[in-house]
Amino acid sequence: MTHLLSMIVAAPAVAALVIILLPAGALAAIRLTALAGALVSLAGSILAHATYDRAASGLQRVETYPVLPDLGVHLRLAQDGWTGPLLLLTGVIIFAGVVASWHLEKRPKEYFVLLLVLVSGVFGVFVSQDLLIFFLFYELAVLPMYLLIGIWGASHEVPAAGPFAVVWKRFAVGDKQYAAMKLTLMLLVGSAAILVAIFLLYVSSGAKSFDLGYLASVRYDRDVQIVAFPLIWLGFGSLGGVFPFHTWSPDGHASAPTAVSMLHAGVLMKLGAFGVMRVGMVLLPEGTQFWVPVVGTVAAINVLYGAFCAMSQTDLKYIIAYSSVSHMGVIMLGAATLTTAGWNGAIFQMVAHGIMTGLFFALVGLVYERAHTRAIRKMGGFAKVMPGVAAFFTLACLSSLGLPGTAGFVSEFVVFVGAWKSGHFLWTIAGVLGAFVTAIYVLRATRTIFWGDGPNEEFHELSEAKGTEWVALVALGVGIIVLGTWPRLVLDQIDTGSATYLTRALATGAQVR
Amino acid sequence: MSSPTTLALVALFAPVAAAILLAALPMVRRRGAPAAVLCVLGSVVSFGSALALLRDRLENETPALLTASWLPSASQSMAEVGVRADAVSASMLVVVTLVALAVQIFSLGYMHDEEPPAFGRYFTYHALFLFSMNVLVVAPNLLQLFAGWELVGVTSYLLIGFYFKKPSAARAAVKAFWVTKFADMGLLFGLLVLFSATGSFGWDAHLEPAVATAVTLLLFLAVVGKSAQFPLHVWLPDAMEGPTPVSALLHAATMVAAGVFLIVRANPLFEQSETTRTVMLALGSCTALFAACLALVQTDIKKVLAYSTCSQLGYMVAALGAGSLMGGFFHLTTHAFFKALLFLCAGSVIHAVHSNEIGDMGGLAKKMPLTATCFIAGALALAGIPGLSGFFSKDLVLEAVEGKLHGVPWVLLLLTAFLTAFYMGRVVFVAFFGKPSNDKAAHAHEPGWSMRAPLVVLMLLSVGGGAMTSTFARMQHEPYHFHMGLGPSLAAALGLGGFGLAYSVYGRAKPEATPGAIAWIERLAERRLVNRFYEWGFHKVTLAVADSLAWIDRYVVDGLINILGYETLEAGRRMRAVQTGLVPDYVLAVVIGVIGVAAWGFAR
Repeated sequence: MTHLLSMIVAAPAVAALVIILLPAGALAAIRLTALAGALVSLAGSILAHATYDRAASGLQRVETYPVLPDLGVHLRLAQDGWTGPLLLLTGVIIFAGVVASWHLEKRPKEYFVLLLVLVSGVFGVFVSQDLLIFFLFYELAVLPMYLLIGIWGASHEVPAAGPFAVVWKRFAVGDKQYAAMKLTLMLLVGSAAILVAIFLLYVSSGAKSFDLGYLASVRYDRDVQIVAFPLIWLGFGSLGGVFPFHTWSPDGHASAPTAVSMLHAGVLMKLGAFGVMRVGMVLLPEGTQFWVPVVGTVAAINVLYGAFCAMSQTDLKYIIAYSSVSHMGVIMLGAATLTTAGWNGAIFQMVAHGIMTGLFFALVGLVYERAHTRAIRKMGGFAKVMPGVAAFFTLACLSSLGLPGTAGFVSEFVVFVGAWKSGHFLWTIAGVLGAFVTAIYVLRATRTIFWGDGPNEEFHELSEAKGTEWVALVALGVGIIVLGTWPRLVLDQIDTGSATYLTRALATGAQVR
Repeated sequence: MSSPTTLALVALFAPVAAAILLAALPMVRRRGAPAAVLCVLGSVVSFGSALALLRDRLENETPALLTASWLPSASQSMAEVGVRADAVSASMLVVVTLVALAVQIFSLGYMHDEEPPAFGRYFTYHALFLFSMNVLVVAPNLLQLFAGWELVGVTSYLLIGFYFKKPSAARAAVKAFWVTKFADMGLLFGLLVLFSATGSFGWDAHLEPAVATAVTLLLFLAVVGKSAQFPLHVWLPDAMEGPTPVSALLHAATMVAAGVFLIVRANPLFEQSETTRTVMLALGSCTALFAACLALVQTDIKKVLAYSTCSQLGYMVAALGAGSLMGGFFHLTTHAFFKALLFLCAGSVIHAVHSNEIGDMGGLAKKMPLTATCFIAGALALAGIPGLSGFFSKDLVLEAVEGKLHGVPWVLLLLTAFLTAFYMGRVVFVAFFGKPSNDKAAHAHEPGWSMRAPLVVLMLLSVGGGAMTSTFARMQHEPYHFHMGLGPSLAAALGLGGFGLAYSVYGRAKPEATPGAIAWIERLAERRLVNRFYEWGFHKVTLAVADSLAWIDRYVVDGLINILGYETLEAGRRMRAVQTGLVPDYVLAVVIGVIGVAAWGFAR
């Protein structure tokens, strides 16, 4: 399979093309095509992950196609130690997302086209070895979100208050269009910063090539690095939920339809953190060294701040959305330690949190569909009617609070080991406290929704999950437990990637070009 | 003969095989009875191999290890998982699986009236619990022990909340999880400090004195939570919301004793810090007395036993603080038997009279002779009456603390022994003697065989457990010769005295009000000071912080982003005024422009 990677990237896009050609009424064909696209990518990802040669490590399955050879732009795809697990995550989430959208009624054709295009973009980012192509795939993944939220989303009201209450005159804060617009604008500003940094690096390296390997071999001026790193950190970080540029995330996730939230929180946010590590930290060792105290401190704030904000929410989707802000902090915290353990934990957390939050949003969608409300204070006793949903929700909660035996523990623990060992005690304390605060709010939500008296009259339509809905829940739930009990399934490979890249990120005295 | 590690693996995996099957096959689980059969089968296999392992370990002293790398880091193994088969893990395995088996068989009868799906769910949780506990017991390092530790916490949460429709049970479950999880942060930090100092999660490292104190104090914080020591004991009485057999297994015999087990296991670390041991001795003996006082005034039979458990765990912690592994571990074992017995008897009584209040019982000895005999045997063992198992283990504890810290712990624990006998005597006389206080108590009858058989087994162990003392001593390599010196005589006298006093107060007629000497404890207990402190911390601090941060996020942090967008739009609106669409305006602009350019040209 010499073209395995391009097949993984292309399959969803090809499926999207086929769906465009299908009549809008051919529901079964549209769904099956979308599922086929997702399954081909998932199968390809499993194969790519399983057959990566760990002993050899480094870049494998390299495919190069010229795009603008004069400018040094090539479509260069390859797999490193980090790629396999992230492909696997994306494959699982898009599969679960398609299944979770199976019964979507509003414009399913356009919906699946956008969803699949977005996923092609995500796969593309993870396998790109050319910075410009990396960026193009990144944009491809981010932009469909505007339509997906704006058209298929849900609105709610946020009361006007605070020092900036004047904005309510113009914006319907909490509305789906508002959420979609805020998300898109904030991420586009981030993209602009990234683009500036990309050209800065391209020009400083002699304007020869956008190849990531080449760009990493160059030693940039310290000043260039110190300017470029924050552009990349905040540019990608805005997607990764870095405080204080995370505020698109709660509104966006709360407004987005189920599968879009699953993909967005499950995979897309990871692109942000991945970009910071893969581009910022690997290419700019001195800039990283200079800025890493800030990066880590902000990440520690993310963890605690997100957790506390989540505790105060009464809307189920906002709870999960803020928990993502908190858990994304763990990734950046691990990255900022610049240790193997921290980096292993960061990449593992991308996978672990992706699966967990995918499960969360799938469950929230399921509850919302039946209860027609997301206000948890109205709920209660749901476990009586939907014991299976309650069980999976509890499992997601346990992974979220970092219970051993679930994937969430592995990443958090490994990150904490990295942080503590490298002397970042305050970051570690913030991280551990964040996990404790998480235990408070997730179990409180579980108790409010599923336990106690009820459900009352209002919820007469409530019923257990059925049919295809189980598929997504079981796939993600089993993933949480399997990764939690035998983390080496992905961690061995992540470890080889971290080793390679960390050496580069720490090599401040690298060779001059 | 199979290898010891294989036996440990079988003991470990038999329950989880049952749990996985039950989780994966809802149609089996929801039918109820097959789930119970599977779960009990798993426990039987587990118990059988634990027994075989113990026999093997009594003859062969070198610990057998089987480990596999669990977390890679920089191409090396950062942490391992596996099994460690030695005398400590083998004897703990036997205690845990034996009590678990007894409790599960008891539950067959006790939970019989549940709907089949709930019955199946109950046994699924039990299988999961036994696995989690075994993960902890056979752990070859502190990381795996921590994993089992957290897993038993979750099964405890699930089982306390088994009657999830009851709001009080739901609250108690969450409270238990939060309190123990708070304490578990200590264990997590302990692991981090230990790993940073030694590069491993093993418990046999030699540490610098300051590091040793830090690590062991952090580990001890987790013990305070799990083993319900003051001031983190608040979750245990509430945990009695769970089904009574669960209270017997998790919240008396095994899970809460995990804290004590941790100290026994990590003894090489605890040995290195005199400070930590002093803290343990002080806190353990204070908790023992404090909880015993609270047990005096409880009217709910399960709450008496719950506070008694706190108190006896304090005994064990104090023994370990005094450096006596043997005392702590042996008292853990005998306590597991007689406390499980007492709880199961309480379950049998509650099953018969449908009330937890001892005031609703009375005269049960005539109606339920077997249950009464068993309860009294358990109560006497707990009170440390000579000849019964509790006497020997308590004696070891008292002997260990004698002379430590100017004898204060010794006095506290002796006083506790007296109070223990008194409150157990109170329950015995009020619940089992006198006149039945209502119709239900008058028509109470013995339960079926599945509930009677476990009682008999546990009673025999509670009564005859003292015979194991020398075996335990041999395993711990401690010399043991019992002689009836001052300590044992005093303890025995106090135990008998406590019972006698209980008889004189409660034996003939039930007093109308709480006797004056302990009424002040009741008044103090009603004020729930410790609980109210935590409630204040949660509502007034944690939630207040959360609410204000969430407000700031919505209206200030996000507000800033919004105002940026708003001002951009406003600026555009103002700029738009320039575009009037009126020709004279544009002509005027052109004229001004021409004049301006001309003026600039002339000026040059």
